Amino acid sequence: MNIATVEPWVEAPLRRFVDDARARLALLLHPSGQVVAQAGFTREVDVMTACALAAASHATSGELGKRVDGHAFRSLHYAGPDRQLFLSPVNTARGAYICLTVFNAESSLGLVRMYFEELCHDLAAAAPPLPVAPRPTIAADFELDLNRNLAALFGREPAAT
Amino acid sequence: MTPFRPMLEALTRQRGVRASLIVSETDGLVVDSSLRFDQDGDRVAALAASMYRKARLSARAARLGAVAFLQLDAERGRVCAVGGRSDLVIVVVADPAANVGLIRVELFKALESLE
Repeated sequence: MNIATVEPWVEAPLRRFVDDARARLALLLHPSGQVVAQAGFTREVDVMTACALAAASHATSGELGKRVDGHAFRSLHYAGPDRQLFLSPVNTARGAYICLTVFNAESSLGLVRMYFEELCHDLAAAAPPLPVAPRPTIAADFELDLNRNLAALFGREPAAT
Repeated sequence: MTPFRPMLEALTRQRGVRASLIVSETDGLVVDSSLRFDQDGDRVAALAASMYRKARLSARAARLGAVAFLQLDAERGRVCAVGGRSDLVIVVVADPAANVGLIRVELFKALESLE
Protein backbone atom coordinates (compact mmCIF):
# COMPACT_ATOMS: atom_id res chain seq x y z
CA MET A 1 0.00 0.00 0.00
CA ASN A 2 1.16 3.50 -0.83
CA ILE A 3 2.23 5.37 2.33
CA ALA A 4 3.34 8.99 2.43
CA THR A 5 4.53 10.75 5.56
CA VAL A 6 5.49 14.27 6.50
CA GLU A 7 7.51 13.01 9.47
CA PRO A 8 9.69 9.98 8.65
CA TRP A 9 9.51 8.34 12.11
CA VAL A 10 5.80 7.70 11.54
CA GLU A 11 6.23 5.51 8.45
CA ALA A 12 7.33 2.17 9.92
CA PRO A 13 4.70 2.01 12.71
CA LEU A 14 1.94 3.12 10.34
CA ARG A 15 2.94 0.59 7.68
CA ARG A 16 2.92 -2.21 10.26
CA PHE A 17 -0.49 -1.12 11.55
CA VAL A 18 -2.02 -0.96 8.06
CA ASP A 19 -0.62 -4.39 7.15
CA ASP A 20 -1.56 -6.11 10.41
CA ALA A 21 -5.03 -4.59 10.76
CA ARG A 22 -5.69 -4.98 7.02
CA ALA A 23 -6.87 -1.38 6.84
CA ARG A 24 -7.94 0.04 3.48
CA LEU A 25 -7.08 3.63 4.37
CA ALA A 26 -5.29 5.26 7.27
CA LEU A 27 -4.62 8.86 8.08
CA LEU A 28 -2.56 10.37 10.86
CA LEU A 29 -3.18 14.04 11.47
CA HIS A 30 -2.80 16.84 13.97
CA PRO A 31 -5.98 17.74 15.85
CA SER A 32 -5.89 20.97 13.83
CA GLY A 33 -6.47 18.94 10.64
CA GLN A 34 -2.89 19.09 9.32
CA VAL A 35 -1.83 15.78 7.73
CA VAL A 36 1.14 13.86 9.17
CA ALA A 37 0.87 10.61 7.19
CA GLN A 38 -1.52 8.83 4.90
CA ALA A 39 -1.87 5.29 3.61
CA GLY A 40 -4.02 4.16 0.72
CA PHE A 41 -5.26 7.52 -0.56
CA THR A 42 -4.70 8.20 -4.23
CA ARG A 43 -5.76 11.82 -4.53
CA GLU A 44 -4.41 14.78 -2.59
CA VAL A 45 -7.82 16.39 -2.39
CA ASP A 46 -9.22 13.28 -0.65
CA VAL A 47 -6.51 13.50 2.00
CA MET A 48 -7.23 17.16 2.67
CA THR A 49 -10.97 16.58 2.88
CA ALA A 50 -10.59 13.51 5.10
CA CYS A 51 -8.21 15.44 7.41
CA ALA A 52 -10.61 18.34 7.78
CA LEU A 53 -13.59 16.08 8.40
CA ALA A 54 -11.72 13.76 10.78
CA ALA A 55 -10.45 16.71 12.83
CA ALA A 56 -13.94 18.19 12.95
CA SER A 57 -15.50 14.85 13.87
CA HIS A 58 -12.93 14.26 16.62
CA ALA A 59 -13.47 17.75 18.03
CA THR A 60 -17.25 17.35 17.87
CA SER A 61 -17.37 13.93 19.54
CA GLY A 62 -14.85 15.10 22.14
CA GLU A 63 -16.97 18.10 23.03
CA LEU A 64 -20.15 16.00 23.03
CA GLY A 65 -18.46 13.56 25.43
CA LYS A 66 -17.56 16.43 27.76
CA ARG A 67 -21.18 17.59 27.78
CA VAL A 68 -22.67 14.13 28.22
CA ASP A 69 -20.09 12.31 30.34
CA GLY A 70 -17.80 15.03 31.70
CA HIS A 71 -14.89 13.61 29.65
CA ALA A 72 -14.09 13.75 25.96
CA PHE A 73 -15.10 10.56 24.11
CA ARG A 74 -11.87 8.86 23.17
CA SER A 75 -12.67 6.77 20.12
CA LEU A 76 -15.34 6.84 17.47
CA HIS A 77 -16.51 3.89 15.38
CA TYR A 78 -18.93 4.05 12.51
CA ALA A 79 -20.08 0.98 10.60
CA GLY A 80 -21.33 1.51 7.08
CA PRO A 81 -22.76 -1.24 4.89
CA ASP A 82 -19.39 -1.97 3.23
CA ARG A 83 -16.79 0.05 5.07
CA GLN A 84 -16.25 1.07 8.66
CA LEU A 85 -14.18 3.80 10.23
CA PHE A 86 -12.36 4.05 13.52
CA LEU A 87 -11.18 7.43 14.77
CA SER A 88 -9.02 7.68 17.85
CA PRO A 89 -6.32 9.92 19.34
CA VAL A 90 -2.66 8.91 19.68
CA ASN A 91 -0.42 10.53 22.29
CA THR A 92 3.33 10.86 21.72
CA ALA A 93 6.22 12.98 22.95
CA ARG A 94 5.60 15.17 19.89
CA GLY A 95 2.06 15.84 21.04
CA ALA A 96 -1.36 14.41 20.31
CA TYR A 97 -2.40 13.13 16.90
CA ILE A 98 -5.59 11.65 15.52
CA CYS A 99 -5.68 8.43 13.55
CA LEU A 100 -8.46 7.68 11.09
CA THR A 101 -8.68 4.06 9.96
CA VAL A 102 -11.02 2.78 7.28
CA PHE A 103 -11.53 -0.97 6.96
CA ASN A 104 -13.91 -3.43 5.37
CA ALA A 105 -15.03 -7.02 5.97
CA GLU A 106 -11.42 -8.20 5.52
CA SER A 107 -10.81 -6.90 9.04
CA SER A 108 -12.93 -6.25 12.11
CA LEU A 109 -13.31 -3.63 14.79
CA GLY A 110 -11.67 -5.96 17.30
CA LEU A 111 -8.59 -6.43 15.12
CA VAL A 112 -8.33 -2.72 14.32
CA ARG A 113 -8.58 -1.79 18.01
CA MET A 114 -6.01 -4.40 18.96
CA TYR A 115 -3.46 -3.29 16.38
CA PHE A 116 -4.27 0.35 17.07
CA GLU A 117 -3.03 -0.13 20.64
CA GLU A 118 0.21 -1.45 19.19
CA LEU A 119 0.40 1.54 16.85
CA CYS A 120 0.05 3.85 19.86
CA HIS A 121 2.95 2.09 21.63
CA ASP A 122 5.08 2.06 18.47
CA LEU A 123 4.49 5.74 17.74
CA ALA A 124 5.17 6.70 21.36
CA ALA A 125 8.44 4.77 21.22
CA ALA A 126 9.46 6.14 17.82
CA ALA A 127 8.59 9.80 18.38
CA PRO A 128 11.68 11.95 18.81
CA PRO A 129 11.39 14.48 21.64
CA LEU A 130 10.32 17.99 20.77
CA PRO A 131 13.34 20.24 20.19
CA VAL A 132 14.04 22.29 23.30
CA ALA A 133 14.07 26.05 22.74
CA PRO A 134 17.63 27.29 23.39
CA ARG A 135 18.00 29.03 26.73
CA PRO A 136 19.87 32.34 26.90
CA THR A 137 23.56 31.91 27.68
CA ILE A 138 23.12 34.02 30.79
CA ALA A 139 19.78 33.68 32.46
CA ALA A 140 17.87 36.78 33.44
CA ASP A 141 18.21 35.86 37.12
CA PHE A 142 21.88 34.91 36.76
CA GLU A 143 23.16 37.39 39.35
CA LEU A 144 20.52 36.47 41.90
CA ASP A 145 21.19 32.80 41.34
CA LEU A 146 24.96 33.31 41.62
CA ASN A 147 24.61 35.25 44.87
CA ARG A 148 22.32 32.57 46.29
CA ASN A 149 24.76 29.81 45.37
CA LEU A 150 27.77 31.72 46.72
CA ALA A 151 25.90 32.38 49.93
CA ALA A 152 25.09 28.70 50.24
CA LEU A 153 28.67 27.75 49.47
CA PHE A 154 30.19 30.12 52.01
CA GLY A 155 27.52 29.75 54.68
CA ARG A 156 26.31 33.33 54.41
CA GLU A 157 22.81 34.70 54.56
CA PRO A 158 21.67 35.45 51.01
CA ALA A 159 21.68 39.14 50.23
CA ALA A 160 18.25 40.76 50.40
CA THR A 161 16.85 41.60 46.96
CA MET B 1 -23.99 -10.48 34.75
CA THR B 2 -25.02 -11.68 31.30
CA PRO B 3 -27.03 -14.89 30.69
CA PHE B 4 -23.85 -16.42 29.22
CA ARG B 5 -21.90 -16.26 32.47
CA PRO B 6 -22.83 -19.70 33.96
CA MET B 7 -21.99 -21.39 30.64
CA LEU B 8 -18.62 -19.64 30.41
CA GLU B 9 -17.75 -20.42 34.01
CA ALA B 10 -18.57 -24.10 33.41
CA LEU B 11 -16.16 -24.09 30.48
CA THR B 12 -13.39 -22.33 32.41
CA ARG B 13 -13.74 -24.88 35.23
CA GLN B 14 -12.50 -27.61 32.88
CA ARG B 15 -8.97 -28.72 33.64
CA GLY B 16 -6.38 -26.79 31.60
CA VAL B 17 -8.80 -24.13 30.34
CA ARG B 18 -7.38 -20.62 30.68
CA ALA B 19 -10.19 -18.60 29.18
CA SER B 20 -13.58 -18.95 27.61
CA LEU B 21 -15.28 -16.21 25.69
CA ILE B 22 -18.34 -15.42 23.64
CA VAL B 23 -17.24 -13.33 20.71
CA SER B 24 -18.99 -11.55 17.88
CA GLU B 25 -17.63 -13.09 14.68
CA THR B 26 -18.25 -9.96 12.61
CA ASP B 27 -16.77 -7.40 15.00
CA GLY B 28 -14.24 -9.52 16.86
CA LEU B 29 -15.45 -8.01 20.13
CA VAL B 30 -16.01 -9.78 23.44
CA VAL B 31 -19.67 -10.27 24.36
CA ASP B 32 -18.80 -11.95 27.66
CA SER B 33 -15.79 -13.79 29.03
CA SER B 34 -14.48 -15.84 31.89
CA LEU B 35 -10.73 -15.39 32.09
CA ARG B 36 -8.02 -16.82 34.29
CA PHE B 37 -5.22 -14.55 35.43
CA ASP B 38 -3.00 -13.02 32.74
CA GLN B 39 -5.31 -13.54 29.76
CA ASP B 40 -5.99 -10.63 27.41
CA GLY B 41 -9.62 -11.19 26.45
CA ASP B 42 -9.80 -8.45 23.82
CA ARG B 43 -6.78 -9.79 21.95
CA VAL B 44 -7.97 -13.40 22.07
CA ALA B 45 -11.45 -12.36 20.93
CA ALA B 46 -10.21 -10.32 17.97
CA LEU B 47 -7.82 -13.01 16.73
CA ALA B 48 -10.11 -15.99 17.37
CA ALA B 49 -13.05 -14.31 15.63
CA SER B 50 -10.87 -13.47 12.65
CA MET B 51 -9.55 -17.03 12.50
CA TYR B 52 -13.04 -18.53 12.79
CA ARG B 53 -14.41 -16.28 10.06
CA LYS B 54 -11.54 -17.16 7.73
CA ALA B 55 -12.09 -20.87 8.41
CA ARG B 56 -15.81 -20.55 7.75
CA LEU B 57 -15.25 -18.70 4.48
CA SER B 58 -12.57 -21.18 3.42
CA ALA B 59 -14.84 -24.15 4.17
CA ARG B 60 -17.62 -22.54 2.19
CA ALA B 61 -15.29 -21.76 -0.74
CA ALA B 62 -14.09 -25.36 -0.74
CA ARG B 63 -17.73 -26.53 -0.68
CA LEU B 64 -17.18 -28.35 2.58
CA GLY B 65 -20.22 -26.87 4.30
CA ALA B 66 -20.35 -25.20 7.68
CA VAL B 67 -17.48 -25.25 10.16
CA ALA B 68 -18.33 -27.52 13.08
CA PHE B 69 -15.30 -27.20 15.32
CA LEU B 70 -12.09 -25.22 14.94
CA GLN B 71 -8.93 -26.15 16.78
CA LEU B 72 -5.55 -24.44 16.68
CA ASP B 73 -2.65 -26.19 18.42
CA ALA B 74 0.33 -24.00 19.18
CA GLU B 75 3.51 -24.47 21.16
CA ARG B 76 2.20 -22.90 24.35
CA GLY B 77 -1.52 -23.43 24.10
CA ARG B 78 -4.50 -24.24 21.99
CA VAL B 79 -7.56 -22.36 20.84
CA CYS B 80 -10.89 -24.13 20.22
CA ALA B 81 -13.95 -22.43 18.75
CA VAL B 82 -17.48 -23.35 17.75
CA GLY B 83 -20.09 -21.19 16.11
CA GLY B 84 -23.67 -21.69 15.21
CA ARG B 85 -26.23 -19.94 13.11
CA SER B 86 -25.88 -16.63 14.91
CA ASP B 87 -22.95 -14.23 14.78
CA LEU B 88 -21.69 -15.55 18.12
CA VAL B 89 -18.67 -17.81 18.48
CA ILE B 90 -17.67 -19.61 21.67
CA VAL B 91 -13.90 -19.63 22.13
CA VAL B 92 -11.78 -21.55 24.61
CA VAL B 93 -8.07 -21.02 25.24
CA ALA B 94 -6.44 -24.04 26.90
CA ASP B 95 -3.08 -25.44 27.92
CA PRO B 96 -1.35 -27.78 25.44
CA ALA B 97 -1.99 -30.69 27.79
CA ALA B 98 -5.72 -30.03 28.21
CA ASN B 99 -8.19 -32.75 27.23
CA VAL B 100 -9.50 -31.52 23.87
CA GLY B 101 -12.14 -34.24 23.63
CA LEU B 102 -13.76 -33.07 26.83
CA ILE B 103 -13.47 -29.42 25.84
CA ARG B 104 -15.10 -30.22 22.50
CA VAL B 105 -18.05 -31.96 24.20
CA GLU B 106 -18.49 -29.03 26.59
CA LEU B 107 -18.26 -26.53 23.72
CA PHE B 108 -21.02 -28.30 21.77
CA LYS B 109 -23.18 -28.42 24.91
CA ALA B 110 -22.59 -24.70 25.35
CA LEU B 111 -23.46 -24.06 21.72
CA GLU B 112 -26.77 -25.91 22.12
CA SER B 113 -27.68 -23.73 25.08
CA LEU B 114 -26.66 -20.64 23.10
CA GLU B 115 -29.03 -21.48 20.27
